Amino acid sequence: MSAPVGRNLGSARQAVRPFIGLILVLILGVILSPRGAHGGIVFISAGNLTDILLQQGEIGIMALAMTLVVIAGGIDLSVGSVLAFSASLAGIMLVRWTPGCGPGPQIAATVAAVLVLGAAIGAVNGAIITRLRLQPFVMTLAAMIGVRGLTKWMTGNTNIDFGFDAAASATFSDLFSRKPLIVAIWAVHAVAAHQVLARTVYGRHLRAVGENERAAAFTGLPIRRARTATYVICGAAAALAGLVHAARSHQGNPNDGVAYELDVIAAVVIGGTALSGGQGTILGTVTGTLILGVLTNVLRLRMVDSNVELMVKAVIIIVAVWLQRRDRSPSPT
Amino acid sequence: MIAPSPTVGSGGPALACTRLSKHYGGVRALQGVDWELQPGEVHALCGENGAGKSTLARICAGIAKPDSGEIRLGGRVVAWSGSDEARRSGIGIILQELDLFAHLTVAENVALGNPALEARRWVSFPRLAEAVAPHLREAGVAADPGATLGDLSVSQWQLVAIARVLSLEARVIFMDEPTSALTDDAVERLFAVIARLKARGVAIAYVSHKMSEIFRVCDRISVMRDGEMIGTSRRADTSIEAVIRQMVGRPLEGRRALAPARSGNSVLSARSLSTRKLRGVSFDLADGEILGIAGLVASGRSELGRALFGMTPVTGGTLELAGKPYRPRGVPEALRRGLALVPEDRRRDGLFMRMSIRENTTLADLGRYCRRGFIRRAAESGAARAQLARASARYGDDALPVETLSGGNQQKVLIAKWLLTRPGVCFLDDPTRGIDVGAKDDTYRMIAALAAEGVGVLWVSSELPELIANSHRILVLHEGAPMGVLDSSAATQESVMRLATGHGAR
Repeated sequence: MSAPVGRNLGSARQAVRPFIGLILVLILGVILSPRGAHGGIVFISAGNLTDILLQQGEIGIMALAMTLVVIAGGIDLSVGSVLAFSASLAGIMLVRWTPGCGPGPQIAATVAAVLVLGAAIGAVNGAIITRLRLQPFVMTLAAMIGVRGLTKWMTGNTNIDFGFDAAASATFSDLFSRKPLIVAIWAVHAVAAHQVLARTVYGRHLRAVGENERAAAFTGLPIRRARTATYVICGAAAALAGLVHAARSHQGNPNDGVAYELDVIAAVVIGGTALSGGQGTILGTVTGTLILGVLTNVLRLRMVDSNVELMVKAVIIIVAVWLQRRDRSPSPT
Repeated sequence: MIAPSPTVGSGGPALACTRLSKHYGGVRALQGVDWELQPGEVHALCGENGAGKSTLARICAGIAKPDSGEIRLGGRVVAWSGSDEARRSGIGIILQELDLFAHLTVAENVALGNPALEARRWVSFPRLAEAVAPHLREAGVAADPGATLGDLSVSQWQLVAIARVLSLEARVIFMDEPTSALTDDAVERLFAVIARLKARGVAIAYVSHKMSEIFRVCDRISVMRDGEMIGTSRRADTSIEAVIRQMVGRPLEGRRALAPARSGNSVLSARSLSTRKLRGVSFDLADGEILGIAGLVASGRSELGRALFGMTPVTGGTLELAGKPYRPRGVPEALRRGLALVPEDRRRDGLFMRMSIRENTTLADLGRYCRRGFIRRAAESGAARAQLARASARYGDDALPVETLSGGNQQKVLIAKWLLTRPGVCFLDDPTRGIDVGAKDDTYRMIAALAAEGVGVLWVSSELPELIANSHRILVLHEGAPMGVLDSSAATQESVMRLATGHGAR
């Protein structure tokens, strides 16, 4: 047994560890930031910092749900395609659809339909993975390809511009692209996901199923239901991110969201969630999302070539995961 | 049976350790251990779990590095860079958690890491099978070299692990609890192998909790406690009682006096229960009764538990639980009906190693400690503590991962988990496998206490003396069929074994 003092120090280090990367990236940001007109550091201006939250909102919301999927031992590669599908569906329902009602009900119906269909795609993923025992990677890879195809087919592979005269689409776009709303949606979902994982029976079951499926079976846990639910949540989250994406880009573009799933998974992994399942935290994922966001922001403030940005990102992923791995103490005996 | 060790040759010890120390984090695993192993001797390493036996074996086999101290192999100081180097120098180890690969074939498992068998860049399977066949035969592996290991029983895994070490032509072999998963017939085969190795001058370090085995096969016995070497004696100069006293530092009580089963009510009755591996098993279990289940490899002992728990389809027969018909449909149904199953392989099937002690304890019945979907931490923790105390688990902080506990305490956490569900019938599948003497005693006590509360207990053990001593009756299975039910007061190891080997005198 280690002395209580040692353990407290250890747990303090444990608590700070997820933030070390973020703190380092923030310091880097301050150092590298260009100066404003009056000599202020652009990076730490309130406008810039909240811009980071705004820019990471879509990835952040999906990463929360992805954390649940990964903890339960799965992965969802289809989120980028579901995002594009949702944005495009929103475009069709807001621009091409002309119901007799006012913009209010039309927007409500659009939001509802998008979320339900996103969840439905997740349900299909989950059902096939748990019932037909397909590997999550394979199934969601198929969904990624299939949903992308569906989206292009559905839109005739054209952008649906929201315009500025159409009441419904313009109102929608104005509403869902507001900074406070996006940040609030992210924050509320982060708190909710954290509560689910840390304090509910369902959260406990997810960790158990992800850590040892055999033992979960011997314990009588609802393995299929728990797993399937993570994909449903992930599909709905991707749909929500799609709504935000459509509003912010003022269009429904069937070719958007390509490779978003990789950013989402990167955020989750940087946040310390093990791809092998069983372990991970929402706090870590939020931190991981912010690390990626701050990094992108700083590099863009410095006008760094976006190709270089990708290379830096790659290094950050490796370093972040290695940092978490390094001081994992060996188990006794 | 096994002749005393031949006098040691002029070469000196095969392996000698001086002042070996090792810490894991703040935990002292070894402290200044001096120990030596002579060629041609079988040398027992005894001690409770956490005494340092496995650590010593792992260091000698290059799996772990000592903090200080030195190891001499044949008089030459060695410092392994890893287990591979140790293996090439002629040290073999059979680990308690078998380091085998379920997806590979038997032959491939034997050949892995063997420089002679892996010398060729391209593998021809027939040639490989041919090369490993003698070793498989020697170890008594019944399976085909081409069989996938994952399809075999735990017992066969152990024998494959032994074949693997045999193929290395090792001069020093560490066996860490080699018989913990073996049934008596397989143990006999292992002892024969040990005798042959010994005659060839191989030095064998035998880590075990089973005193009867140690006193049968070992020439010398070293006892460890809390990471220190307490002493080494020749077998002739010591006794089981003396060794156990050295291990635990306290005398062990004798045979348990069981309260008589409450005669009346049947809590579980099976009539011609059949599954893919069970053939017409019938028995009655009264409340407060302890029914021991004996059987050799593939006897269907574990299958019976899985059938009752709804984890394997029942193909025939009827079951009654507390007087009402019961048709196993799945684990949740079994739980609702008051059944509990403590599985055989606690790491694989029982525990969530990285989850906390508390979380492991409450997982099977978490709903009870919730309000509006949220877990009430205080209620959960209180319930966990109560059951852990009942199972006499020793732990520091219930928020620590269960992997930080010793094997015996892990087993107790697993038992506490099922006590929490307040079962009417409890099936414990080999609960004393690979745990230390003190923890075994706690387990017997717990089984008796459960029965005294009116729970019907079914339990499996590969060690007949403890099964007979701690059960009211013994159900003996052989290849899935019931061979008879013996009253434990009249049962002897011989009478049980006769039935278990299929030579029933009925």
